Parts: sequence; structure tokens; C-alpha cells
Amino acid sequence: MLASIVSISLGAILVNNFIFSQFLGLCPFLGVSNKMSTATGMSVAVIFVMTMASAICWVINTYLLIPLGLKFMQTVAYILVIAVLVQFVEMFLKKSIPSLYSAMGIFLPLITTNCAVLGVVLLNTQNNYNFLESVVYGFTGGVGFTLAIVLFASVRERLEFADYPKAFEGFAICLVAAALFALAFMGFSGMKIL
Amino acid sequence: MNRNKQFFEGVISNNPVLVQQIGLCATMAISTTLFNGLGMGLSVLIILTCCNVVVAAIRKIIPEQVRLAIFVVVIAGFVTIVDLLLQAFIPALSSALGVFIPLIVVNCIIIGRAEAFSSKNSVKDSFFDGVFQGVGYTLVLICMCLFRELLGSGTIGGGLLNGAKSFITLDGTGAGLRIFPETYAAGALVLPFGGFLTLGLLMALLQHILSKSAAKKAAKEKEETT
Amino acid sequence: MSKTMETFKPGLMLLLVAAVAALVLGLVNLFTAGRIAAIAEETMNAAMQAVLPAASYTDTGFESDGEIDAIYASANGGWVVQVTESGSQGLVTMMVGVSPDYACTGISITESSETAGLGAIAGQPSEKGEAFRAQFVGQSGTVAVTKEGGSIDAISGATITSKAVCRGVTAALAACRSLGGGASVPTVTVLGGSDGPGETAVTQPASTGPASAEPSMG
Repeated sequence: MLASIVSISLGAILVNNFIFSQFLGLCPFLGVSNKMSTATGMSVAVIFVMTMASAICWVINTYLLIPLGLKFMQTVAYILVIAVLVQFVEMFLKKSIPSLYSAMGIFLPLITTNCAVLGVVLLNTQNNYNFLESVVYGFTGGVGFTLAIVLFASVRERLEFADYPKAFEGFAICLVAAALFALAFMGFSGMKIL
Repeated sequence: MNRNKQFFEGVISNNPVLVQQIGLCATMAISTTLFNGLGMGLSVLIILTCCNVVVAAIRKIIPEQVRLAIFVVVIAGFVTIVDLLLQAFIPALSSALGVFIPLIVVNCIIIGRAEAFSSKNSVKDSFFDGVFQGVGYTLVLICMCLFRELLGSGTIGGGLLNGAKSFITLDGTGAGLRIFPETYAAGALVLPFGGFLTLGLLMALLQHILSKSAAKKAAKEKEETT
Repeated sequence: MSKTMETFKPGLMLLLVAAVAALVLGLVNLFTAGRIAAIAEETMNAAMQAVLPAASYTDTGFESDGEIDAIYASANGGWVVQVTESGSQGLVTMMVGVSPDYACTGISITESSETAGLGAIAGQPSEKGEAFRAQFVGQSGTVAVTKEGGSIDAISGATITSKAVCRGVTAALAACRSLGGGASVPTVTVLGGSDGPGETAVTQPASTGPASAEPSMG
């Protein structure tokens, strides 16, 4: 049990990093990684929503969709859960923890269309993870996202002073930098805990 | 609305991937063979067009507050339909694209067009917007697939063309036309690394072309005024 | 009255749209479900034919243990085992053919989400993929990659996938060994009567020995 948890965590954070090896969550990754402070704010919100969504969607899939024979409604149900969850979290934070809301509030609506969130939920179903494994995968997937986005934010802060061809301005040079990151993360692919 | 202008916008000047820079995830993840790229591109084109039409049709009766939720349900509905149809009729494509078919739901292109275009325009305009933006997306995917496949594994049209008989196969088993032996291929281009790099280069290329043509235009105008 | 209508309208609209979507999806599902199931069965049958050709296969009712999903006894002797192992990106599901004397007759990867260009090669119809899978034919006992003292050349850059396939084949061989009795087992144990074509057509292989006397299994 512990071994599978450790192996899932390691996979989600390093080996199969959501951004650098699975291509999930690239829009927010490129969108908010230009400053360290926004990057961390977004990351916290993503970890939170990914963990919650994994837990709720697992329950809905196991106790509602599968018994009722509505497996084909999975995608629709999951995206609705995520949309409602995000809305709910936003309202809750606004009322009870205003300081945290002001830190991550603006990122919350963006998370609904973050494919890492829907991706983690779909992968949980595809890999037949149990409840604990799903939650761990959701949480560590978010941690992997954080690792990627924080590392990349620091590189982008340096990129501003770099001298590169004019045609590469904007996202193009970021993608080339991200390519080098992906190459580095491939080094983790030999890691495996059994 | 001017169709030519709309077409030019969708394919080049406001290309969803290269200029609007949205919907990148799937673009990089699945552009490894022509079969995947074409399949994904056409799936998105169909879903985008259907969603645009439906959203434009119901744009006057949907309440402002739950607008996005309704868009998402409409999109998820069409995505599931396409997903089920692919599973039933082109299973090879469905298994090759895997989780990226249901993930079209959160492809920012579709929700982006629903919010920015079809919720404000007529059904007819929205239909063409869907088709043109879809074509723009598909073309980028095809470019990336050709580049990555040719340099990464030395073939063209993997899954779609069968090298031995030069037949078109739709079951995804074709090995592709071999241009040069696999031993000389830069296999890294098929990996995630290649996805990021190829898209970065393609984006830079389009920016270069657009800035050049803009400069030309500006020079011409200057000439005319003087 | 009109005010309450105003507050409920958004929710009702959302509900209406969701209901229409569910209805349409239900209809599409009704139309495609049969076909999808038929395709799944066909793919499975094709994979089984590829690793161990036979006229028919009978499920031995082997209880899934997290690794072995199912064992099918072939009408011509031997088994086809469906195994799931975790590869580098997720689960790798494969069919392993096992001859009555517990040697691998071939493998076929039915489902995997390994990296394109690396691990995915294991399941592809390409030259490299064929060469990789061909190595497993005739293997018996514990199958391992060369790095771990075995004789399987791992796909370069995809050691984890290669190891996963080796583990799967080893597990399949061991499971068949534990079933014992060459191909005679299904005649004794298969759920239900013996009127199926698979059971009556079984020919007793010469190599079964004393193990065939054991009717017990998991």
C-alpha cells in the first residue's frame, strides 16, 4: 500500500510531471509564470482544487455513475463538479479567509479550464485508482505542477534580460526554455520505487 | 461579415495556437504522427463548429450568471458524443489520443470562442468562425506532426499511410512512408522535449513572417504618403 | 412571483441544458455502446489469436490478483493470460500466450499510455516493436532484461516499460504453472457444463504428467 502511494507520488511530482512530460496545464503554466508571486499563488490554488476534485469525483464516479450505468456521462459530470467546486471555494474564501482570497482569488476562475485538473480526475478513473490513491495523485500532481511553475518562473525572470532573436519574443522563447526543462525532467524517467 | 477576412484571421493573423496561444496542451502532446494530428484537428474542428452554432443559437435566452456553466455543459456534451463515436468507429484513433479527447472540454479554444465570438454573433457567422478557427488549429497540428515525425522517426504520415502498398489506411496501422532509416532519426523530437521545441520554433517563424509583412506594409504606406 | 422567477431562472436554465445534454448523450450511447463492446471483444480476440492461435478460448475463472486479470485456456492446449503491469506512464495491459509446457508463445500489448517514441514502441506494429516482442517467444521461468541478468534486450530509453513487460510475462508463466495440468485443466474446472466447443475439443498434451490429476485452482 505504502509502496504504491510512494510510487504514485514520485511519478506525479518528478517522473511523469504534469507539465513537462504529460503536457497538462500548459495554459496557466505559461500564463502566470512570468512572476514568482503570481506563480506561487496559482500553485496553491491548483493543489487545493486538484486534491478536492480528485476526492469528490472519485466518490461520484464510484457511487453514482457506475451503479447507474452512466459511465458515458463521466466527462460532463467531472467538469461540472470542477466548475461548481471552484465557484464554491471562491465564495467560501471570500467570506471566511479574505487574506487567502486576495492572494489566490483571481486565479480561481482560471482553474476551471486548467486541463491539469480535469486531466488528473480522468487519469484517476483510467488507472482505476482507489480513493486514497486518487487523493494522493491529485495532491502530488498539484505539487508537481507547483515545482514546474516555480522553477520556470525563476528562469523567466532571467529571460527578460537575455539576448535572443526578435522573432522569439513572448511565448516562443518560453517554449524553447520549457523544452530544455522537459529534457532535464526526462532524466528522472529511470527512477522507480518498488 | 467578410468571409475572406474571417478565414485569414482564423488561419494566420489570429491563429488559435500560434497567435492567441491557447489550446497548447493537446497540440504538443499528440502531434507525433500525422494520423493523431489530423484526427485531433478534425475532432476539434467538428466540436468547435457545433458548439459555436449551439451557443450562438441560444445566446439570447441564457442568463448571464450561469453563462459559463452552460457553455461548459454544451461543450462537454459534444465532446462526449465525438468521444463515443470515435470509440465506436475509429477505435485506433481513440486509443492513440486517449485522455486528450475528453480533455478537449477544457481546450481554451472552444470556451474562448464561445465567450469571445459566438455569444455575441449570429449563428451563420459563428458557424464560419468555428470552421475557420478549426482549420487554423488543424493546420498547426499538421505542420507540427510533419516536422516531428519526419525528423523524429524518419517517416511521413504514420498511421495514415501504409509505406509498403502506399495505401491510405484508416485503422492507424500504417507504418508511414519511410523517408530515411530510423537509425538516423532524432528520436528526441517525438518526446515531450520535441513538442515544446517544435511549437516554440513554429511560433517564432510566424511572428517573424507577420512582423516582416507588417514592416513591408508600413514601408509601402510610407512610400505612398510621401 | 416574477421576482422568484428571476432568481430561479438561471438554475432552471442550467438544469434544462444539462437535461437535454444527458438525453442526447444517452441516445448516442445507446447507439454506440453495442459497437464499442463488440470492438473491445474483437480487439481482445485478435490479440489472443496473435499470441496463441486457437479455435476458441475458455475463461478459467482465475481470480484477478492485481497483476493477472484473467487466464483463458486455449482449445488447442496452453493458455492466454491477460496481465496488467505498471509501466512508466501508467498501466500496461498485455496478452501473453503460454504453451502447455509453460513457455511463452508470444505477447501483444493491448493497452498502454507509454511515451510516444520510447515505451510506446513496445506495442507498435513497427520493426523495432516486432523485434522487441519476438524476443519473448520461447522464454520460460523468470524473464528479465539483460541488465538484470536476463536475455531480453530492453528498448533503448524505455527500460521501465521493457521491465514491466518482462514482469508481466514472468507473472503469466508463474500463474499458469500454479494452475498446472497443461491444457487439461479447463475440462475439469470450467464453470458450467462441458458442452462448450472449447472444452470438448481439448486434446490431452503428452507433457502434462501427474499435474493433470490436480483439479484444484484459485
